Amino acid sequence: MPVQKFWSVAGICVALVSSVASAADLNLPVATRVVSFLQPPPGGVIPAAIIYMPGNAASEAEAASIERAGPLVAGKGTLHLKRVPVSALSGLAGVRVAFVTSGLRDSQAQIAAAASRQSILTITSDLSCVQAGRCVVAISSVPRVQITVSRAASKAANIQFGSAFLMLVKEI
Amino acid sequence: MRSCIQSAGLSLAATLLASAAGAQAVDYAALQETIGEPVTTSVTGKPQRASETPASIEIITRDQIAQSPAHDVPGLLKTYAGMDVNRWTAGQTDVAVRGGVQTFNPSLLVLVDGRQVYLDHYGMTDWNLLGVQLEGIQQIEVVRGPAAALFGFNAASAVINIITTAAGQGRSLTASAELGTHGYDRLSAVATAPLASGLNLRIAGGHQRENERSFSVNQAAAPASHPVKRDEVAARVEADPDGRTRIVINGGYSVNSQLELLPTQIATRQRYEAVTAGIRADRDTAWGGLTGRVYANWLDAHFGAGVSGETLSDGLNLKNRIFVAQGSALVRLGLSNVLRLGLEYRNNRLDGDTLFSPRIDYTVWSASGMIDLHPTEQVAFTFAGRVDRLGLGSDGAPRLPAANVQQDFDRQFVRPSFNAAALFQLDSASQLRVNGGLGYQIPSLIDLGLRLPIGPFPGLPTVLLAGSPKLQPVAVWSGEVGYNRSLSDSTKLDVSLFYTSTRNAIASPGEALPLQVSMIGGLSLVTRFQRDGNYRTMGAEVSLDGTIGKYVRWRANYTYTDTDQQLQPINVLALSPRDTTARHKANVELGYSRDRWFATSVIRYTSGTHQFADNVLGQIALLDVRRALAWDQKIGVRFGKVTATVTGENITAASGAAGSPIPADRRFLAGVSLKL
Repeated sequence: MPVQKFWSVAGICVALVSSVASAADLNLPVATRVVSFLQPPPGGVIPAAIIYMPGNAASEAEAASIERAGPLVAGKGTLHLKRVPVSALSGLAGVRVAFVTSGLRDSQAQIAAAASRQSILTITSDLSCVQAGRCVVAISSVPRVQITVSRAASKAANIQFGSAFLMLVKEI
Repeated sequence: MRSCIQSAGLSLAATLLASAAGAQAVDYAALQETIGEPVTTSVTGKPQRASETPASIEIITRDQIAQSPAHDVPGLLKTYAGMDVNRWTAGQTDVAVRGGVQTFNPSLLVLVDGRQVYLDHYGMTDWNLLGVQLEGIQQIEVVRGPAAALFGFNAASAVINIITTAAGQGRSLTASAELGTHGYDRLSAVATAPLASGLNLRIAGGHQRENERSFSVNQAAAPASHPVKRDEVAARVEADPDGRTRIVINGGYSVNSQLELLPTQIATRQRYEAVTAGIRADRDTAWGGLTGRVYANWLDAHFGAGVSGETLSDGLNLKNRIFVAQGSALVRLGLSNVLRLGLEYRNNRLDGDTLFSPRIDYTVWSASGMIDLHPTEQVAFTFAGRVDRLGLGSDGAPRLPAANVQQDFDRQFVRPSFNAAALFQLDSASQLRVNGGLGYQIPSLIDLGLRLPIGPFPGLPTVLLAGSPKLQPVAVWSGEVGYNRSLSDSTKLDVSLFYTSTRNAIASPGEALPLQVSMIGGLSLVTRFQRDGNYRTMGAEVSLDGTIGKYVRWRANYTYTDTDQQLQPINVLALSPRDTTARHKANVELGYSRDRWFATSVIRYTSGTHQFADNVLGQIALLDVRRALAWDQKIGVRFGKVTATVTGENITAASGAAGSPIPADRRFLAGVSLKL
């Protein structure tokens, strides 16, 4: 095997491994509980989307990981998931919550615009999306659970959280 | 005038509720599940992670309670750093934080869901009259050091806030039964049920009984033995009409009878009956929240008469009623700063035949503020201040002969209290905490207004044990430096150095029974509850906790307390924290949980002390309490929804393990619980 080909294969393997790792990074139990702190709290069946990029290994892996998590109970409601390709954001119609997978940095502006128009709570493991004011909530779990909320993105999407919740998270 | 003030208080309460005052509806269980650690509001009034509070705090979680060998709240508290838990008799327990424990211990404010269960008539807590079941506790929060700037008078040395489980968890039932040696039995149940959409009911009740312990041979003869009994029932309705407003109506009834050592060390049997009722409203807003609350507690206390403690019906009967109206607002300032403003009205009255007059009462108006500032991510400053104005009064004709005159009770005073703290995040794994404060312990209504004829003393005129309406509040200054660090992913270290100074401590008369002549309404000799002097404690607390693998958890702590005092001799006034505070305390807990099985072992060490009691001559004396190494053990197994447990308390039969002149005994319990 030529050296160049070896490094290409190795690179793909590393990318796959890291994509799996980043999928695991989204702490789905915590992400689901965050939904229950919306004001007013949603109940019943809560339409939810997984925004992903077809063909992007990291994004697809994370979407699959979220789907595998089973029924997601958020307080008095249950999330009803569907996949929405980033290329077809019109599929977000009627959705209340969207999990933004990793690997979508180039599309964050379009996602933010669609979420703002339809008042969708966007949750991601990609802190940069929240720091850019394009996603509402970012969740990291290492070394401890840290929830970051973008005030600008919340305001743009007309999303409100309970004040007790906001006093326990990092708002930027 | 008093009725005008009462009306004003009621109007304030009504106004607060009408404006949907009240506001921080905190779902402790949901928030803990979300952020991965317990949440508290007991330090600053705002919700905070346990790891980010600017004070030394311990939060005992529901899981820890379930696996602990303890069968009551003091039993849970005794294994944590800085806690003095003295189980004087089988039923009477006192808890002190950072030294200074005494019978009928004041200065420690105890709350259930933010509602005071501390008893103002004598300035103490009856831990068998809390009206809560262990199975219904979400968490117990212990804030070490004064928290008077948030909670007012009596939070002078620490606050313990017991948070019960929420009603809104659908239809559920938890029931437990325990049987044990020494005639012990305990039943408890907690049930929740939805009444309608957004309307939930929670009912809890319990019963406990156990035999009294045997007195030491060094003590005066024990009163006839009666078992300790407690029974209670409580109900709560929670309404959540719009997702932003929460209204909670609660009520409860508790009754308890037990042998107690009074501050005068007379051993008598008491019967306490308590009723509580209240309403609380919380409203969440875009800028923070509002909270309003009104509640009243009624206490009917029957104290046994004389040393025999036999004749409850002939004893001393006191009726205490406290009415509280509170309102507060939490305001978020920018992204991370918070301001809290609060108002409180409190009316407290004591009725009885052994008071200066038929009724002694006081009214307190309070205003408080707290600001929590985060100039950078690494630094937080908190300052809280509060001003309390107390007006003392008496109703009805003075009983003669008297130790005081009516004008002595026509008195007002104002006390400011504060807490200040700085929290520094040194790196991703460690924090430094510096805090200090000033709080006040108000003299109890007994301290202020008792008039109890004692004796007879042949050849002497009437001798009165009397209160002193001119007593000043006890001031407690404190300072603390704390450091905590994550030593690894699973191991945490917490170190605190503390200093507490108590000024103008109040004490009851000692054996010498200092007497003054009074000519008010006739000749009498008077001995009083009075100002004794000052004492201070200083020391260090070191706590470690962690896990080993998936199944083993552990924690260990050590507390060193040095106590010094400038107090009168104990034969004059019976207070001596230097003798009664253990210098060394250490606890090690090891827990194992795997599949159906769990086990918890606790080893407790307490160095020797001396505690007040009547000696064989019937005189107040300091009796030896030997150092103790006690072992508690619980083993449990789960069969679906049923859990069976076996518990041993003080298996080593260390006589000093209770911190009482009455030797501790070894007890075994077996229990079963059902969770549906």
